[in-house]
Parts: sequence; structure tokens; C-alpha cells
Amino acid sequence: MPGQSSHFTPALPLTSQPQPCGRAGFSGFPSPAQDYEPCTLDLNTRLVKNPTETFYVSATGDSMEGWGIFEGDLLVVDRSIEPQLGHILVAMLEGEALIKRYALYRGTPHLCSTHPNYPPLPLEGSDCQLWGVVRAVVHEYLR
Amino acid sequence: MIGLVDANNFYVSCERVFQPKLEGRPVGVMSNNDGCIIARSAELKALDIPMGTPAFKLEGMRQRGEIHLLSSNYELYGDMSTRLAQLLRDACPAVAPYSIDEMFVYLEGLTTEQCEALGRELRQRIRRHLGLPVCVGLAPTHTLAKLANHLAKQHPHYQGVCLLNGQDHTTEALLKRIPVASVWGVGRRLAERLAIGNVNTAWDLRQSDDKPLRKRFSVVLARTALELRGTPCMEMNALDQPRQRIMTSRSFGQPTGVFAEVHNALRRHAQRSAEKLRKQRSLARAVMVFLNTNRHRRDQLQYFPQALIPLPSPSDDTRVILDAVRQGLEQIHRPRYQFMKAGVMLLDLVDAEQHQLSLLHPPTRDRHPFLMATVDQINQRMGQGTISFGMTDAPAAWQLRCAHRSDRFTTRWDELMKVGTHPGAVAAAEAKQKEKEKEKLKKQQALTSTKRGTQPRA
Repeated sequence: MPGQSSHFTPALPLTSQPQPCGRAGFSGFPSPAQDYEPCTLDLNTRLVKNPTETFYVSATGDSMEGWGIFEGDLLVVDRSIEPQLGHILVAMLEGEALIKRYALYRGTPHLCSTHPNYPPLPLEGSDCQLWGVVRAVVHEYLR
Repeated sequence: MIGLVDANNFYVSCERVFQPKLEGRPVGVMSNNDGCIIARSAELKALDIPMGTPAFKLEGMRQRGEIHLLSSNYELYGDMSTRLAQLLRDACPAVAPYSIDEMFVYLEGLTTEQCEALGRELRQRIRRHLGLPVCVGLAPTHTLAKLANHLAKQHPHYQGVCLLNGQDHTTEALLKRIPVASVWGVGRRLAERLAIGNVNTAWDLRQSDDKPLRKRFSVVLARTALELRGTPCMEMNALDQPRQRIMTSRSFGQPTGVFAEVHNALRRHAQRSAEKLRKQRSLARAVMVFLNTNRHRRDQLQYFPQALIPLPSPSDDTRVILDAVRQGLEQIHRPRYQFMKAGVMLLDLVDAEQHQLSLLHPPTRDRHPFLMATVDQINQRMGQGTISFGMTDAPAAWQLRCAHRSDRFTTRWDELMKVGTHPGAVAAAEAKQKEKEKEKLKKQQALTSTKRGTQPRA
């Protein structure tokens, strides 16, 4: 029949569900996992270690892409962490908040980015203030 | 030992945490509705701009960029205050928030030196971890702790932490320099009356005899004197203790005399009050409605009416309260006045679980505890006013003006602080955004103009 070709064919074969008949009571099987405390993973416990001191900020600019921080990414900033070399920081420099990597450059601590246009900023002699340490970056593919 | 941790210029400090460009600049925060100055940075104080200055008087300075004026951003301040309290709770055995920016901490079992060291550490930690500058006052009593905090703020040489042990010579010397009006609980009026009896300084009050104080003034003042002597005799009522009355009131963005507009505002306040009432698990026995005209406008008719509507039986049902509010407003509303402010107060509260059921007046309407609980839950999760009772939420004259509010950096995902990966990144992004908006506007204008152009032909 010519009309048949237009019929919708499901990608997966659909099996018919058993129809309930009669009124007999039935009970399910007890879950074998019921003795194990259910504790679904919570991303908060992984990314936020100190909720009181944790703030969220959003990144702007392209010069930290080498460290995986892209425009519009969400940063989880923990202000209670002591910064160490290699940490990614949010720092206040001349009234502006910046995301930089705290690292040695020619033997002295600098704030570094991964973009050739932005050379490392020496910490010595600058009025740079630490704001917080970036604990994690959240890059959302679907928004 | 009792400590008082008090944030310096709390509102301004909260703003500065997320807007470093405000550091070192004169900044003021305006009241609800952008009416007057309610918080000032040290730089603004130095310009001799007093508390309560109407914002319009400073508009020129603001436009010239000499000062920054911000609308109050209570979501931000509230969140920072919660964080401050939590940080203290993590470090001290007991904490009692006294106001949005003052917290008492109770340090029992520590030596004086340990208390002072802890005070310094707390101050540093709050500065570093939350970005808030605070001062700490330490003393054996609440009243002395308050004074110690005052001293820590006034005199830089304390470096933010002042300890008064209540007995030594330093305490005596300091109390002799503090006017009695600066003592907690002693107002200007009371100070004037005390001055007649030659009580001028905090030390004078401390040395006053107990009996005459009780006789001529009050038990409270006698207690204050005792506290100054270092004997604790004031307990702080916990903030979460049920309050005896609940009030919600706001000034209108623009004065209005229209019944429907005033009613709308009151309905909003009534719903907010009812929500607070249910939160503390109380029932109200009466509802008060009040209206104020603008008392500064001498050229306008003045009218400050209020109406008290007793409820047939204690209730926390929004609908019952709304009903009472309408009755009250109908009693007092007069058309020829321009009202500046309206409010709803819930009075004579009783505990929801323990109140006596009336024999003569059984609950009139079926109480729907689930309905109210559901409404509260939805509003809590989805934001205030998601569900409201029979009103349109069109932007009305009475809604808040907050033209200069900064972003709510800690409570809204779409208002986070923007941080650049290199100097100027944020500014460049903002400029781009503005250009885009401009282009959009231009396109829209072009569209409408072409439409207009085609209209005559059609």
C-alpha cells in the first residue's frame, strides 16, 4: 500500500507493556542495597571545601586559555587557602581583579598568563593583593 | 570574656570586596528607595557628609565623579553577614549575632592573653578570608565589650583589637575619658538628665550608687553601671527568639494617594509579614495598618493615620490578614492626601502550638496549613513573590527605587564578579557589550522607522 511507507518506524523496537489485569496485590523485591547508606555524590563536597570562604566569579578574556580558563567560565575561588607557587590566583592589581598563575619567572615570583601579549607581572614592588585561590574551573558546554 | 566583633562601615566594606576600584574612594550607601545616606566610608566621613543626608543633595558630586553613591544591596550584605557569623562560629564556642554587622562571641575558659591573641587572629582571618575589615572589643561584660570596640575603632594604635579587663588602671583612665552618652543603652536624653546629677563620664556612672540609680532612673541603668564595674548582668536575647511584633513597611518610590496603589503596597507588606509570622511559628491576634504623608513637605496636607483590626481568632493565614488589612485601609484612607509610606504590623503574637482555642470563636475559616506552607516553600525556593495572593505585580509607583545597586555577587548566578585574565579585559568586554546593545537599539529604531514609513502607504 502506498500509505504504508509514511508510517513512523521507531528506532528501537517497542515491546508492548503487560497490561494489569485482576486486582491481586503484589510487592516488589527489597533492594539488596538497602543496608548501604545511600549517599549520592554531591559536586559541592568535591569543589567547595570551605563554603564560608568560597566565592564564585566569572572569567573574562583569553589569556589564561593555556591553563584551561576560557571566557565566561565559572571559577570556584577559595579565600581561605594560603597561596603556593603554581596556584592560580585572583589578585587585585591597581583596582582591578585579575586571574593569574602564581609562578617563578627568572627566579622571582611573578603573576603569569599563557598569552605572549601579556608578559609576567613581577610581584616585587607592586601593590598587588591576594583575593583568593582558584580551586576549580567549571566550563559548561551546554548552557 | 565577651568579645564584640563589629565590621567597619559594613555596607561599604561589602561593596568593596567585589569592587576593588572603590577602595580608598569616598563611598556612600543609600537607604531603601535611594532616599538618604545610611552608610559611609571613612573617606566620605572625611568630606563632612553626615549620616542621613538626602541623596539628591549629593547628586551633583556623584555626577562629577567626586563620590560614589550606591543603592542598598541587602542580598549581598545579608550573605556576607551570614558568612561572618559562620566564620566566627567555626572559631569560637558560642556566637550571638546582635545586628547585621555586630556579633558577640563568648570566650569562656581562656586567659586574657589567649583572648587577645584570638581576637587578633579573628580580625586577620576575617580580613583575609572574607575581605571585611573588623574591630574586636574584649571585656568581661557586654557593655564594656561595646566600649572596647568603640575604642578599637577610634584609636589606630590598638590595631583593631582592644581589651578592657574592667579592673586595672587603663580601664579607669579610659572610662574617665568616655562621655556617658557613648555608653551602650544611654541615649542623649538620659545623658542630659545624668549631667544634672554630675554624672558626665562612663567612670562617673560606674562609681554611682546603685540605689539612687534605680530610684531616679531605672533598673536598666543600674545594671549598666554594674556592667561597667565588670559584673555581667545582661543577657542577650537570642535573635531567633520569637519576636513580639512583626512589621513590614516601606516608603513609596513616589508619593501616591490612589487607593488601589496604597492597597497593593499594603497587600505586599501583609504577605511578607505573614510569611515572617509563620517562619517563627506564631499566630497574630491583631493587625495594624498605618500610613504616613511626607512630613518634610510643609506645603502638603499632613495625615498619619493608623487602624487596629483585631482578628476573630489568632491566625497566620495570609488571607485572613489580607482581609483585615483591607478593612483597616478602608477605615483610614482619605483621598486628598499624598502618602509617602505604608506599613503593616502584626501584634499580640502567640505561639502557634500553645495558644488557647477560643470556645466562642472557633477558627472561622478552615485553616489550610499545607496551602500556606506550600506557598512559603515555593517563594523561598523560587524567589520572593513567585506566588502571591490576588494581585498584579505591575511596576507600580510604590516599588523600590534602586538605580545604583551593584550586582548581587554572592546570591545570583548571572551577577557574579567578572575577573579579567589580563589588565583591561573586563573593561574591553563591557565596552563590547555596550556597543552590541547600541547596535541593537539602532537596528530596532531603524525597523520602527521603516515600519512607520510604510504605514501611510498601507
